[in-house]
Amino acid sequence: MLVSKNKGTSLLRSSEKSSLLRFLALYFILVTMILLLLGIFYYQSQEKLMFSNQRTILSEYANKQVQALKQLHNDFPHHTIYPRSDKYRSAIYDIEGYQIFSLLKHENIRFDKEIYRIGNSIHFLKNLDDYYLGTKYLFIEVEEDNVWYKETMSNILAFGTLTLIVLIIFGLFFVSIFLRPMRNSIMLLDDFIKDTTHELNTPISAILANIEMMDTSIMSERNEKRLSRINIAAKTVSHLYQDLTYLTLSHNRESKDEWIDMKQLIKDRVEYFAILAGSKKITFELDLKESAIFIDGVKIARVLDNLISNAIKYNKRNGKIFITLRKSYLQVQDTGIGINSKKVQDIFERYTRFNSSEGGFGIGLNIVKGIIDEYELQIDVESVIDVGTTIRIDFTKGTLDG
Amino acid sequence: MVKKIVVLFGVIGIVFLGAEEPKNVYEKNCIPCHRYAPASLEKLFMVYLKRYSAELSLKGALKDFLKNPTESESLMNNTFIENFSVKDKTTLTDKELDDAIDTYWELYDVRKKLK
Repeated sequence: MLVSKNKGTSLLRSSEKSSLLRFLALYFILVTMILLLLGIFYYQSQEKLMFSNQRTILSEYANKQVQALKQLHNDFPHHTIYPRSDKYRSAIYDIEGYQIFSLLKHENIRFDKEIYRIGNSIHFLKNLDDYYLGTKYLFIEVEEDNVWYKETMSNILAFGTLTLIVLIIFGLFFVSIFLRPMRNSIMLLDDFIKDTTHELNTPISAILANIEMMDTSIMSERNEKRLSRINIAAKTVSHLYQDLTYLTLSHNRESKDEWIDMKQLIKDRVEYFAILAGSKKITFELDLKESAIFIDGVKIARVLDNLISNAIKYNKRNGKIFITLRKSYLQVQDTGIGINSKKVQDIFERYTRFNSSEGGFGIGLNIVKGIIDEYELQIDVESVIDVGTTIRIDFTKGTLDG
Repeated sequence: MVKKIVVLFGVIGIVFLGAEEPKNVYEKNCIPCHRYAPASLEKLFMVYLKRYSAELSLKGALKDFLKNPTESESLMNNTFIENFSVKDKTTLTDKELDDAIDTYWELYDVRKKLK
């Protein structure tokens, strides 16, 4: 399973965004359909109005033509010239629908409608009771005055667009009202984390500093193991603290981009996590080439820490973590539990965890994604259940050395 | 005597018609009688056309009438019928009748004459 994510992050989660977009799309389609229907009704009513205006004139033409046909019928065959007019064109058809004579421009006549538009003309149909020259159906054709059509279409477009804009503004307003409870709950959680983060700093720093200062050479083996466990626990909390601090306070902090030696940074972070990995008997296998990228040091450290921390957290006992560094990419591969292919899409969502049996807030990969997006890098996730997960970050030209 | 001449189809032989030989059933059986009638075959065609409009309906109605002529079905006015009475039943076969009517239609079809 290969997933590419390169979208911007914001306060809204992407699931919330997609719900919003889906709702708006549905709303837009429905509103457009309703407006189209209204437009069609309006068009039809205008057309009917035009027809009723035309019907009187065309009916008069038809009566005139019937009189001329009657005259011709009586004079036939001494006179055989079909009666013509410069005001209209006409055609005659017999009872079986066969053409007797036609001067029409549009020959696609309809027997089922009294009056209709065809091309730029209007056809009017008159049924005769006396079949002069065999005529049952008399068609009168006149050129159409397109003024009503242009007026109707411009009205439909103008009012339709205006109404659509107003309804979309209403839609956005309603969506913001519907989404407010969801947004409030996310903000509440963010605020809670922000507040508690401040309280974690001093005790964690004190624990870690004191562990570093302790002289393990004079300790018994049992106490050394206990101290190691305290160290692991403190570092786990410290890692969480770092994430939470980044998440809640990073918006106030300006990026300080510089060239970072990725090989050295990876070594440092692997050493930092060595005790944590050792607790699950997980070993690192590093394949590192020289690579430097232009990025904020704190941010790339958060990316690395989270990838390594997840690789440890979701790995099996006695598992392995392969870290590969090349000039243009970094890859972290574990031999862990893997992720269901359906869930791979969601792992970058905030408060989403691979596995609910493991601790954590589910914010690590959301931070990674935020940083990746900020620097327009590419992140791909490949995962197979019970085999492991591979996360690869491709560096773009802007961040690459030289 | 005149009444009989008018209503009979195909009774008078070609010997009375002059030197030219009749070419088809229509000329042989229709023209001889109708040439003496006050209403020409052309006028009668226009009467039929005004009543029946199209080819099939006109031909069908004419055939029915020739096979079974009645006063009610006749399109001629009362004066005409009083003077000449209704014609006798045709002695022509269906095939001959169809041929005669087809010729009659072809001869006076207004579609070919309108300009």
